[in-house]
Amino acid sequence: MKNNILNIKNSMHANRRWALIAAYTSLIIFVIFFLFPPYYMLITSLKTNKEIAEMASNPWLIEQGVTLKHYIYLFTETPFLTFFKNTIIVTVCVVIITMIISVLAAYSLSRLKFWGSGVLATGIFLTYLVPETLLFIPLFKIVGWLGLLNSYWVLVLVYPTLSVPFCTWLMIGYFSSIPKEIDEAALIDGANHMQMLLKVFIPVAMPGLIAATIFAFTVSWAGFLYPLAFIYSESEMVLTVGTVTTLIKGDVFNWGSLMSGALLAAAPPVIIYAFLMDYYIAGLTSGATKG
Amino acid sequence: MNNSSVYLWLRQKPRIAFFMCLPLILMVICLIIYPFIYSIFLSMLNKAETKFVGIGNYLFLFKRETFWLVVQQSIFFALVAVFFKALIGFIAAHSINTIPSKGQRKWRGMLLIPWVIPPALSTLGWWWLFEPTYSALNWFLVKISLPAIPWLSETFWARFSIILVNIWVGAPFFLIMYLAALKSIPQDLYEAASIDGANYRQKLYYITLPMMKNIISITILFSIIVTFANFDIVRVLTRGGPIDTTHLFATYAFRVGIESGDIPLGAAVSLFMFPILGILAFIILRNVRKRAMEV
Amino acid sequence: MKKSNLHRRKFLKGLSATSGYAIAAPYVKTAHSAGRLLLGIWDHWIPGANDVLENILVSWGEKNGVEVKVDFITSIGNKLLLTAQAESRAKTGHDVFSMPTWYPSMFKHRLEPLDDVVEDIISKHGPLLESAKFYAYLEGHWRGSPAPTGSFFDAMVSRFDLFKEHAGIDLQTIFPANENRDANLINDWNWDTFLIAAEKLYKAGKPFGATIGATPDSRWLGALFTSYGAELVNKDGDITVNSDEVKQVLEYMSKLTQFMPKSIYAWDDSSNNRWLISGQGSAIFNPASAWAVAKRDNPKIAKKLWHHDFPRGPKGRYRPDNSQFWGLWDFAENKSAAKDLLRYIAEPHVVDACIKASQGYDIPLIISHFNKNNTWIEASPPDGVLYNYPMRGDEIPVAVGYPAPPGIASQITTQYVIANLTARVTSKGHSFEKAIKWAENELEGVMRG
Repeated sequence: MKNNILNIKNSMHANRRWALIAAYTSLIIFVIFFLFPPYYMLITSLKTNKEIAEMASNPWLIEQGVTLKHYIYLFTETPFLTFFKNTIIVTVCVVIITMIISVLAAYSLSRLKFWGSGVLATGIFLTYLVPETLLFIPLFKIVGWLGLLNSYWVLVLVYPTLSVPFCTWLMIGYFSSIPKEIDEAALIDGANHMQMLLKVFIPVAMPGLIAATIFAFTVSWAGFLYPLAFIYSESEMVLTVGTVTTLIKGDVFNWGSLMSGALLAAAPPVIIYAFLMDYYIAGLTSGATKG
Repeated sequence: MNNSSVYLWLRQKPRIAFFMCLPLILMVICLIIYPFIYSIFLSMLNKAETKFVGIGNYLFLFKRETFWLVVQQSIFFALVAVFFKALIGFIAAHSINTIPSKGQRKWRGMLLIPWVIPPALSTLGWWWLFEPTYSALNWFLVKISLPAIPWLSETFWARFSIILVNIWVGAPFFLIMYLAALKSIPQDLYEAASIDGANYRQKLYYITLPMMKNIISITILFSIIVTFANFDIVRVLTRGGPIDTTHLFATYAFRVGIESGDIPLGAAVSLFMFPILGILAFIILRNVRKRAMEV
Repeated sequence: MKKSNLHRRKFLKGLSATSGYAIAAPYVKTAHSAGRLLLGIWDHWIPGANDVLENILVSWGEKNGVEVKVDFITSIGNKLLLTAQAESRAKTGHDVFSMPTWYPSMFKHRLEPLDDVVEDIISKHGPLLESAKFYAYLEGHWRGSPAPTGSFFDAMVSRFDLFKEHAGIDLQTIFPANENRDANLINDWNWDTFLIAAEKLYKAGKPFGATIGATPDSRWLGALFTSYGAELVNKDGDITVNSDEVKQVLEYMSKLTQFMPKSIYAWDDSSNNRWLISGQGSAIFNPASAWAVAKRDNPKIAKKLWHHDFPRGPKGRYRPDNSQFWGLWDFAENKSAAKDLLRYIAEPHVVDACIKASQGYDIPLIISHFNKNNTWIEASPPDGVLYNYPMRGDEIPVAVGYPAPPGIASQITTQYVIANLTARVTSKGHSFEKAIKWAENELEGVMRG
């Protein structure tokens, strides 16, 4: 009997060890694949123009001296900070709007039934079938009529179309997994739906909310086609479009600054994720999945 | 009084439900459905937008060799890219889940980076990596005595490159989704299986995959739709070339619509994606909905 | 509801936050202004050029009691085109807008006819380049007026040291930085002699390179085709791609591409610049930007560059035309002020100032204007590098797709039919017949209304 248990334990150890080796190996391979381009971008952003243009130099290392010139150029001679500010304003607004619309809709679609709610819950996904590349042309008319052409507020209007469907679907999934007993308990206590939503559902579904927030944030931060189509003044541009249009002039690319711009544009999401992901994962292990 | 009866009427469940859903419904109608219908209408006009030509634009497209090339390429691109994204995402998620929880955070953080950098900008970085004159990748290949690869100038490699970049950008998304799903599978199931003598592969097939079926389906569907409609990556890297061999629907629509000034035709090209994706979505979502009903 | 309330607040906030020239704000007529003019102008990549133009425009406005506001819009990512599309669909936006090459044709139904303006300009300053007329004189009306900036014409940009050393051709002698050209030498500079030189340069490891792909830089092929008399569509609108001349050009290209790097099929508009500046290449077709960047990034190479004429073909010597115009939207409110402005910008001193600000990159459309400008004489190093950048000899600028009717030629350009046709033969190895058949199919598509 004891032998058997020992054997099982040993084989489990062996399995575990093998699993760990396989896991670390694949992770290392993936990390190399995922990170070599940003590494390259970082190196290029710190190189002098001359070294970038030189054929003979090693593109993976800095050989002729690190320079912060490109970063300084970015802050002093381009409206980079304006782009930054605009992007933050747009993204914060879009995330708030998205979460409000999605959470309300998800609560109603997962808990309350009305005519057509089933179709809506499934169909919401189908809105992704209509891509930006098709919508932006008819949107010219609407945006023009609203007077939002060339203003970053146009993005606050249209970005939610990219984030809300997915976030709604995500929240529906989380809300659906909350046991109905909680509903009934709260209703017995006299709570109305808004209170139930705010005091019960949202705390329990927090990991889902955070995941949705992350998604909305990413989509909004990285938007490119809509700002390209609707905004042309530098004072209104967001990071993605602004960096590309001010640093590429005709057939001249300012690679050093472009790369530094790209990295700086990526920094805020990375930082935010570093904080939020912890809550997300922590929430997962203690949230609606249990009991 | 009138007040309280209105109030009571409002308080009924379906009404509240409807009002809570209203922002969503309004947004979808005004900013998605209305423009969509308008573009269908637009696709049925002639080039100068003065006459109604019905399905004339579509019939015209069917006769173009380039159009069918685009259809083929888009399907191939979407299926191959999504397959690898799902695979990499799954393996990565599984690997992260396997290592001790303390170390998970940093691996997770590192692997998320491609998705976090705005694709419009990271694609520029990739483009510079592929650039014929200055490619850092080719520099490396030549250093280890391999021939330089024409990343963007030859059809095979151009297709390879756009798929590669798409995988790079999209795999982390699969990683997050799968990781979350993996973490919600109760550990006891695995422990019980181990005691029963199940090996690694059996646990994977009989526990992990079935519990993740929903997430896998939805994520793949979402990714197929988004990948199919991809614009940024191809636009920046190859603009559809060489000789139209990397065109997808969105880039081809941009070329014939915006660049050539025939917006109705461009709309027709874009709309053509819809039936193809619609069928796919219907199949996958029907399965998902069935399972959701079971829950 | 919640969302629309939130939005209404944001609209109003947004409107006040922006400069308020959106929607219903009609052009403010105060006691001392004769209206307002909004211009959406192509963003010049040369630093400082935009400011010079803006100053000129705003001071004109002050002198004439018009409030002038200029937005500079880049053409990167087709931004300029997208904005034009947006404005023409939404029927709101700027008054005067940049219309490069085929934009007048694309937007002709939305552009105000400018016959009176252009005729005034021609009678005062002399004729425009023929190629300019091809772009902007549509169905009996001028839809664009010559712009003071943004017109450029690709010249050949070569490393004269490499040509001398490996091909035995002294470009500085054939195309001197002065008026004394030897007619015989110039005559000898044709596509056949160029082919021989290309081979020698290729064998020396420093080939010539030019884009053959779906990007505007491949317009040099249009000039090549025209110089052989090869027409894809003739001036009456008949598809004539299946002709001896076309086959002749394809034959020539099959030979020439053997001496070019294989990456040209993936080049975008900046690749040829980079390739030349890196030292790998001996010649490209480009406006003056390659040399300008070389000055910054690789001065050693910049000193050895020389701009000069295209080679001559059996039917003449042609170079690609990139004229730019300014158009007036038909929904603009202050049309008379706009037209006055358009007349003003054709004045020699305005054009002069703009050319100087662009460091010689822009070449004016009014012939009398570039004959008298010193910018190209003074540019250096090396001395005289830009002298032959504008057309000094018998070169004729031509639009891609010439002589097809503008509606068709514009499609040939924007769908890159010529580049694709050539690439099919030279890169994919299709037979001439197969490639020509493909081109016929494409052109039939292009012909539809």
